[in-house]
Amino acid sequence: MKKHSILIICITLVVLAAALSIALFDHSHHDENAKFDAKETIFDHLVDHYSWEVPFSHSHKIPLPIIVRDYEGDWHCFMSNKVEHGESCEGFYIDQSEAYNGKIVSVNDKGEVYRPLDISITKNVAALFITIIVVCLCVLPLARWYKKNGNKAPRGFVGAIEMLTCMIYDDVIKSILGPEKGRRFAPYLLTAFYFIFVSNLMGLMVIFPAGANLTGNLAVTMVLAICTFLAVNIFGTKEYWKEIFWPDVPIFLKAPLPIMPFIEIFGVFTKPIALMVRLFANMMGGHMIVLVLLSLIFIFKEMGGVAIAGGTTVLSLGFTLFMYIIDTLVSYIQAYVFTMLSTIFISLAQVEHHHE
Amino acid sequence: MELFMPEAGLIFWMFVAFVLLLGILAKFGWPTITKMVDERATLIDKGVEYAEAAKASLEDSETQARAILAEANRQQLEILQEAAQMKSQIIDEAKKAAAAEAKKLVDAAAISIEQSRKEAELQFRQEVSQFALTIAENIIRKELAGDKAQAEMVEQLLNELEHKN
Repeated sequence: MKKHSILIICITLVVLAAALSIALFDHSHHDENAKFDAKETIFDHLVDHYSWEVPFSHSHKIPLPIIVRDYEGDWHCFMSNKVEHGESCEGFYIDQSEAYNGKIVSVNDKGEVYRPLDISITKNVAALFITIIVVCLCVLPLARWYKKNGNKAPRGFVGAIEMLTCMIYDDVIKSILGPEKGRRFAPYLLTAFYFIFVSNLMGLMVIFPAGANLTGNLAVTMVLAICTFLAVNIFGTKEYWKEIFWPDVPIFLKAPLPIMPFIEIFGVFTKPIALMVRLFANMMGGHMIVLVLLSLIFIFKEMGGVAIAGGTTVLSLGFTLFMYIIDTLVSYIQAYVFTMLSTIFISLAQVEHHHE
Repeated sequence: MELFMPEAGLIFWMFVAFVLLLGILAKFGWPTITKMVDERATLIDKGVEYAEAAKASLEDSETQARAILAEANRQQLEILQEAAQMKSQIIDEAKKAAAAEAKKLVDAAAISIEQSRKEAELQFRQEVSQFALTIAENIIRKELAGDKAQAEMVEQLLNELEHKN
């Protein structure tokens, strides 16, 4: 009985999806000029914007503040809806050309187009703030619970957060760094974990408060990697620095030509860069695959017409769902891997003198 | 490619926001949480240790109780045996005392019987000799010329009397 009803629901959904896509394409056929550009659409979804789109509308977007400093050093602040459709506001406008690619630009007194110093609250920045609020809402109730209830085990959502925290704190941080150093570095590592995990998951939810490709943005992962880099090198022990500049290798490898020190110093920088690229590529890749699979519908529609598009809709929705499930897993795995590798890099910089 | 060019503005905000988040959580969140998680871990470890110790001591006291019980049983048995022994001893002693007493009484009775028998014999002899004297007197009175045969006869009579007693 139950299996049958699930099957019927699935078939209905599939048929509906196909029918809906056919109907939409029929509708869109009236506008022959609008050619679907898969590459542009995909990259448009992956990059940052000055406003936040809402579902089912291309003309209405949530305006966000634009904060720029012009070449004379004056700050300008206005809402993004003032420059949304190519208008100019206070001398600033959005340049869609190849050189500036949808960034805000202005013209200086010599008549040259230049990019002002731009610290606008873009979609990603807004998503960043929302992520931070969500992380605080996840973590602070747990702290409050402990203050109120002592050693009692929390239930519900707070219990889930506690489980996640214990998993990272006990199994990753304490088991790699040991209890003493673990407690010292836990605030940074746990914050990084929760920030990455929450923003990964929020990146997968497509509508307003979520849906920004935050951890799939190199700037965000770069800052995270820099934080790990600082945590590793500021708190590194003497032994760690000694092993970088004067490692325990035969003398010809370090004396006339500092081959080993060079490799070691290179390693100091490649570690955080690997962290940065790994997180960025994984999250950006996940988003991109989902977008490509969905774009297939439109590509096939342009190639073959309605019937093929209907079939493709069903197929690519199936694949998209599958990818979404994988991406949910990847969201956790990447947050875990970032935290674990940061912990390992920190522990490698905490070496004590161990050989005679 | 825009995708691979980190935006200065986003880097700035990300840095500010992340440091802010780290500050908030490092001040109000993680210290409490990690402290409590660690505390609870030690509490659970201690609890397990305590439970194991309690179980061991329970088993220990059970064996102790069993040993005490066995000891008590043994003592009880001993006391009972002693009592039984003492009882038979007392009975024996009483029997002995009673027998001695009885013997004493019997002996005393025998002595007094002997004495009274002797006294009676003496009295009887005296009476018999009185009788004999009386008889002899009578005979003498009858036959003053007492001959030898008559005297012999008297003697014979006397002997017979003695034998009869």
